[in-house]
Amino acid sequence: MSLKLGAMLPEVMKHLFKKVATVPYPFRKLTVPPGFRGNPVMDPNLCIGCQMCVRDCPSEALEIKKESERTDEQGKVIKRFSMTFYLDRCSHCAQCQEICPKKAIVLNDQFEEAAFDRGALKIIYK
Amino acid sequence: MGTFILPVGPQHPALKEPTSFRFLVDGETVVDADLRLGYNHRGIEKGAESRTYVQNLYLLERVCGICSNAHMTCFAQGVEKLMGLEPPKRGLFIRCLMGELERVHSHLLWLGVAGHEVGFDTFFMYTWRDREIVQDMLEMISGNRVNYGMQTFGGVRRDLDEMQIKKLLEGIAALKARTPYYLNLGASEPTLVARIAGVGKLPLEKAVELNAVGPTARASGWKSDVRQDDPYAGFGEFIPFNIVTDQGGDVLARVVVRAKELMETYNICEYILKNLPAGEVRVKAPRKVPEGEVVSRVEAQRGEDVHYVRSNGTDKPDRVKVRAPTLANWPSTLYMLRGGYVADIPIVMAAIDPCLSCTDRMAIITDVKRGSEQVMDWETLRKHGIEFYRKRGIKL
Amino acid sequence: MDILKVFLYILVYPGLLFLFIYSTFVEWVDRKLYAKFQNRMGPMHTGSHGLLQPIADFVKLMAKEDIVPDSADKGLFNAVPVFALAAVLASGLLLPVWHFAKGIESATSFQGDIIVMAYLLALPTFAYFLAGWTSTSMYAAMGGVRVLTLLFAYEVPMFLAILSPAIMTGSWRLADIAAYFQAHPLYMLFNLIGFAVGVVALQAKLERVPFDIPHAETEVVGGAFTEYSGRKLAMFRLLADVQMVVGAGFLSALFLGGFPGGLIPGFIWFVIKTLAVVFILSAMRAVTARIRIDQMVAFSWQYLAPLALLQLVIVIFIKGYMP
Repeated sequence: MSLKLGAMLPEVMKHLFKKVATVPYPFRKLTVPPGFRGNPVMDPNLCIGCQMCVRDCPSEALEIKKESERTDEQGKVIKRFSMTFYLDRCSHCAQCQEICPKKAIVLNDQFEEAAFDRGALKIIYK
Repeated sequence: MGTFILPVGPQHPALKEPTSFRFLVDGETVVDADLRLGYNHRGIEKGAESRTYVQNLYLLERVCGICSNAHMTCFAQGVEKLMGLEPPKRGLFIRCLMGELERVHSHLLWLGVAGHEVGFDTFFMYTWRDREIVQDMLEMISGNRVNYGMQTFGGVRRDLDEMQIKKLLEGIAALKARTPYYLNLGASEPTLVARIAGVGKLPLEKAVELNAVGPTARASGWKSDVRQDDPYAGFGEFIPFNIVTDQGGDVLARVVVRAKELMETYNICEYILKNLPAGEVRVKAPRKVPEGEVVSRVEAQRGEDVHYVRSNGTDKPDRVKVRAPTLANWPSTLYMLRGGYVADIPIVMAAIDPCLSCTDRMAIITDVKRGSEQVMDWETLRKHGIEFYRKRGIKL
Repeated sequence: MDILKVFLYILVYPGLLFLFIYSTFVEWVDRKLYAKFQNRMGPMHTGSHGLLQPIADFVKLMAKEDIVPDSADKGLFNAVPVFALAAVLASGLLLPVWHFAKGIESATSFQGDIIVMAYLLALPTFAYFLAGWTSTSMYAAMGGVRVLTLLFAYEVPMFLAILSPAIMTGSWRLADIAAYFQAHPLYMLFNLIGFAVGVVALQAKLERVPFDIPHAETEVVGGAFTEYSGRKLAMFRLLADVQMVVGAGFLSALFLGGFPGGLIPGFIWFVIKTLAVVFILSAMRAVTARIRIDQMVAFSWQYLAPLALLQLVIVIFIKGYMP
């Protein structure tokens, strides 16, 4: 291939009239596709407290605690659990979503996680 | 100006990650080069011993950001061998697709970085703009732009549906139309060719002697590729593949090899997407792994990646060792840097596509004067560090 | 009244205030063009469409801490940026933008002011070398040496290139040369080769890609400016912008016919012609990579200097046949 002086010039000049490829974030935000791995959200109505998510999390970002235990009319024991979720430790691998037998954990589409205070990154789902 | 020692690193704009180079420079010519590694050591191999296999999948994925899928594949297929698992064909195809898409993203990134190292920022912006196409594709498949988390023991974690396959084929067609432009530009823009042709020459005998891997070795004419020598993830038996080499041995040859590999990768991806077999994508894997040891190899973007896993029957591994490709390329780089110009240092270092996060595992530094090794515990090391800086006038 | 005009000339237009504001505007234009060529946006936020971004950068640098290395020669280290900025601002006064009277020579427009202008524009290059040398840092010393090698490469073609319009018009005064080309616009075409050589040499003088070898970021960190911070670095950056404006104005006066018409039309012509030269400089910056210092020296002595000599030969030939 021979050398051409200013080989990139035609392409570069064309770009004076093209639409820009960048987006002025944060004034305009991009949408994420479905299936995006954001932050885990837990539904306490579905959780059975098996602790599989806690065991499989690679970053020790989840804790499951028993909140209450009651027996209903038929004699069935109903337990309710809460999840403490440490956003600053989460690696967004979705292993908790995959392993939960009751599909109680779903990853949402949030990706803006900055906070001024570390306490704000500890989320409790009751 | 005489000879003096020019330090490049640990912090330097030419380096994307910390390494410590010491060049003996005479005016503008490099007479000798020396290297110190270890600045990116994070204790991953030690951390892997206290985590279960499932947790280790994600730990080893984060050895490197750009070769994350290669490390995860290497570990997953090694442990699958220990478990005696065979992933289903659809799972193998998707595993191969992820590896090849990651190769596209990494080679486009490298083209941009190489452009930036020689001051060609427009080239950098254009290649990274096209890289956004493949990043969007990867985000659609796996949910994240890096650290895809797709591989697991027994197959892959997510499946592809019809809509996604259509979008993927469109993305690959768009990239296929754009990439030849960069190949032509690399060979015809005079200032770029002046910087990369004839620079950093590595003859074939030296490449074999110093064990270069990946595109660095293939650019010197050595047909060395794990996808051909030791096929994995469906290469060879289901998925066709042609090796790409060049005879130049200089930085221009490495650009040509990576650009042609991109074209080859697009063909592989199209083959996979058009011939995806039906079926499951994973089989169930046991929690405890039987005793044994395995060596697993994968052709990562930078070369041959080796993982060694030893299991002892529990759900935590006994020992995990990672030999990443960049570690094998450093001796060749030192050879290439000697005798060149100072101005060539950034582009020669960038031409092997260095990834220090991959490189820095445990290393043993021998004291040349005493010929012995010394082991320090944490407190002694801390005191040694404080004393070292106090002697140089810095109070800590 | 005359005294007032002199003060306005030195301090407002085309002196300090105008050069300062216009050079930040030209930097904005350069950054926006560079961004557009690369399919991105450039400064958008500070001021409307990022117009105040270069001024914001300057103010930010002025407010930062000013660190002087222990082993540096403090007097010279501190004096060099001020000295260089003064030289470039003084050379801006010699541009033929606002004439009190056309045919009369004055303190800012006299026979031989081309040479004074070229000399004043060469002073910052020596200042860069001194800045690198007195920093006593290895990267700065290497950058300083590269600055001088670069000067050796581009200065001679630049001088040869600016000689040809002077020979064609038979005068060493910028205002006369500009007036000649305003009277005979077609003769500007004979100087096209000289204009091309002049633009390439100007790109080298301003140390922009493909000739930004002395402060190549990935090789010598910051070159001569590695150890500079705070106010002195702000002055160096301002100096680079003002040099671009003055250099573009110099080339427009020599090759593109100057700025006729007095105060207001002269100002409009100045803006149009300097922006045209800046457009060419920005395009050159966007389409090339940085070349090595030995390749630069080879390139300029094998291509630039012979082209400039060819231009001289053409001009001498034409002058023999012109009425």
